[in-house]
Amino acid sequence: MKKECVAMLLAGGQGSRLYALTKNVAKPAVPFGGKYRIIDFPLSNCVNSGIDTVGVLTQYRPLELNSYLGNGEPWDLDIADGGVHILSPYSTSGESGSWYKGAANAIYQNIGFIDQYDPDYVIVLSGDNISKMDYKDMLETHKKAGAAATISVLTVTMEEAKRFGIMNCNPDDTIYEFEEKPAHPKSNLASMGVYCFTWSKLRKYLIEDENTPGSANDFGKNIIPNMLNNGEKMVVYRFNGYWKDVGTIASLWDANMDILNIPNAELDIYDKEWPLYARNPIVPPHYIGEHATTNHSFVAGGCVVDGEVDNSILFNSVTIERGASVRYSILMPGATVKAGAVVEYSILAENSVIGAGAVVGSEQDPQDPNKKIAVVGSKVSVGPGAVIEAGAMLNPETLKGGEEA
Amino acid sequence: MKNIHTLIFTNQANYDLKELTEVRSMSAVPYGGRFRMIDFMLSNCVNAGITDIGVVLEQNYQSLLDHIGTGKHWDLARRRGGLRLLPPFSMKSSGSSGHIRGRMEALASLDSYLNQIRQDYVLLTDGDVALNIDLSKVYDQHVASGADITIVCVPNHIGDPKQTTYVIPAEDGSIADILEKPDEAEGLEYISMALLSKDLLIQVNKYCAAHNQYSFSNDVLVGMKDKLKIMPYVFDGYCARFTSVASYYEKSMDLLKPEVRDELFDADHPIRSKDRTDAPTYYAPGSVVKNSMIADGCVIEGTVENSVLFRNVTVAKGAVVKNSILMKGVVVGENAQVNCTIADKDVTVSPNGNLSGHPNYPLLIAKGSQV
Repeated sequence: MKKECVAMLLAGGQGSRLYALTKNVAKPAVPFGGKYRIIDFPLSNCVNSGIDTVGVLTQYRPLELNSYLGNGEPWDLDIADGGVHILSPYSTSGESGSWYKGAANAIYQNIGFIDQYDPDYVIVLSGDNISKMDYKDMLETHKKAGAAATISVLTVTMEEAKRFGIMNCNPDDTIYEFEEKPAHPKSNLASMGVYCFTWSKLRKYLIEDENTPGSANDFGKNIIPNMLNNGEKMVVYRFNGYWKDVGTIASLWDANMDILNIPNAELDIYDKEWPLYARNPIVPPHYIGEHATTNHSFVAGGCVVDGEVDNSILFNSVTIERGASVRYSILMPGATVKAGAVVEYSILAENSVIGAGAVVGSEQDPQDPNKKIAVVGSKVSVGPGAVIEAGAMLNPETLKGGEEA
Repeated sequence: MKNIHTLIFTNQANYDLKELTEVRSMSAVPYGGRFRMIDFMLSNCVNAGITDIGVVLEQNYQSLLDHIGTGKHWDLARRRGGLRLLPPFSMKSSGSSGHIRGRMEALASLDSYLNQIRQDYVLLTDGDVALNIDLSKVYDQHVASGADITIVCVPNHIGDPKQTTYVIPAEDGSIADILEKPDEAEGLEYISMALLSKDLLIQVNKYCAAHNQYSFSNDVLVGMKDKLKIMPYVFDGYCARFTSVASYYEKSMDLLKPEVRDELFDADHPIRSKDRTDAPTYYAPGSVVKNSMIADGCVIEGTVENSVLFRNVTVAKGAVVKNSILMKGVVVGENAQVNCTIADKDVTVSPNGNLSGHPNYPLLIAKGSQV
């Protein structure tokens, strides 16, 4: 059946700057916010924006992401007409087929998927940022302007602008120029990597781009400049809400702490008007013991807490034994901190174990963008009494820890 | 192991649970921070590979319907088999009231349903018993012993004798006597869970219907105990049933013991429930929490001790909650004091309010009340 709008979610990136956390899973499957994974944010935004057809483009280590998405039931996307579809690279007869060469190529390879729904518009989303965004509102801006492409932008400082793709606009918000990471920015409108296209236009540019030898098959480098050069009408959608890229350990930690900033969180996870959906494990309620102290923290189901929890986020089934102290840290599902251990400014990945009396991380300035967050990888055990320094990265393969690459 | 079909009887309030069962059947009573009683038997069945389940509904079943829906949260929404809801309107003899006097009365009108059961064995059980039982062991014993009926019993006396059936075991493991609603508890307590073959069930169902008999425990177990080989299966794990508000309170407080939680919420045999994607629980600066079981989606700014909190409970600044059970959506206002209280869903306690019961006589506040 025809759909007005279909969303394509780019979830193939490795997220290599998350190191140990993305050793075995794709970045969109990284746990976030005590109950969710990164991909829950764009997916929940889709559902809350009334978009019920979502293609998820996967490539890097898709196993966990695929089983997490399943049939889409937690997001009400298990519907017969539309719903969530996992789109992996595939091979075709007569030719070898290929991995997705770039974001634009990933969409190009799935033109057939999109055409099934004969949509008027396609929204392209990235699966590596945390935001609360009404895509319907962006679509309205796009329709009203009669644009071929609408690019959502954030207002940043002129200094920050040097690190982003920058949209230079006329007073009517039409775009006349796009500059990638300009040394001398003319505008402070930064692209968020969230686009709305008129499908007939995008379709044509994707095919042209595919036939251009040497193209990077990228939206920012190829598709958007080509559309601009051909005089297509392109506008910006000014977004004022919460948006954060979680590409690095420090920014992932920051974004987690942003939503913990109750009652002043810009992204309110208790908002009943904009619910966040996630696939939940089967666990009983958590238990807070006789010796526990709790301060400014999230705790999810199945946890058993008998030590100190301060300014931290505990995902499901975390154990904090008596006398242990967890401060300014993020503990992913199944992590265990044994008696007397101290964990500060750290991220403990799924099912990691901190032995009795061990010390992981140390106090940092939370405002420092380069603060050193220690990361203990999935299923890594830190021995009793061990000391893991601030900013250490414990991979399953490199148990001795070490500097960030 | 899938050669069993389960029939769950959701039960009206047989006991004095006051306002807790005014608005819902026994099987829909909330328990353990995020569960309804029926979650335990549904999960026990699914964990044992039993995926064909009929749920016999009685009066006040709206709340239960909302909870179980299509059965998808227990993986029971299936094309073949799965969950089947049996409302009283499908029963010829129950009349318009929807009240059923006993299991055999309900079954009498479900004869065509029984005939269509695909499995060789049928498990009859209540939906209002909280336990984590490996039903494959009950099945194994039933088949190995050659019993006609295997009845599940517990060694401890948890029910009201006047409402309960007791089994006096014989030395060879069979049954010496069965006592129906005696003055005093004796022997093993039958927890209204019985396994028998489909063929035998259809036979006794016809017999009972023809003789105007409606009680499984009285007319089948006691009445036919000399003709049938009835064997007890002794379950010695944790088992909770409620006979009064005080026993509901006591069994809820049991959940604060780690050994009870470990048994009831064994990770290898998980208890599933309706999933709602609540946010995690937030503990604000100044919160003081000790010895409490707390579900997701709560916001705790005050003090909580020795309590069970369901989902989306708010405990405001300065409020003190002790020895209490607060169900979903309860709001405790600033500086309010709540002690030995069971607050049903969506109760609001005003700021500076003071509610206090006694451990033997907890205060029960009805669903939706403003206090």
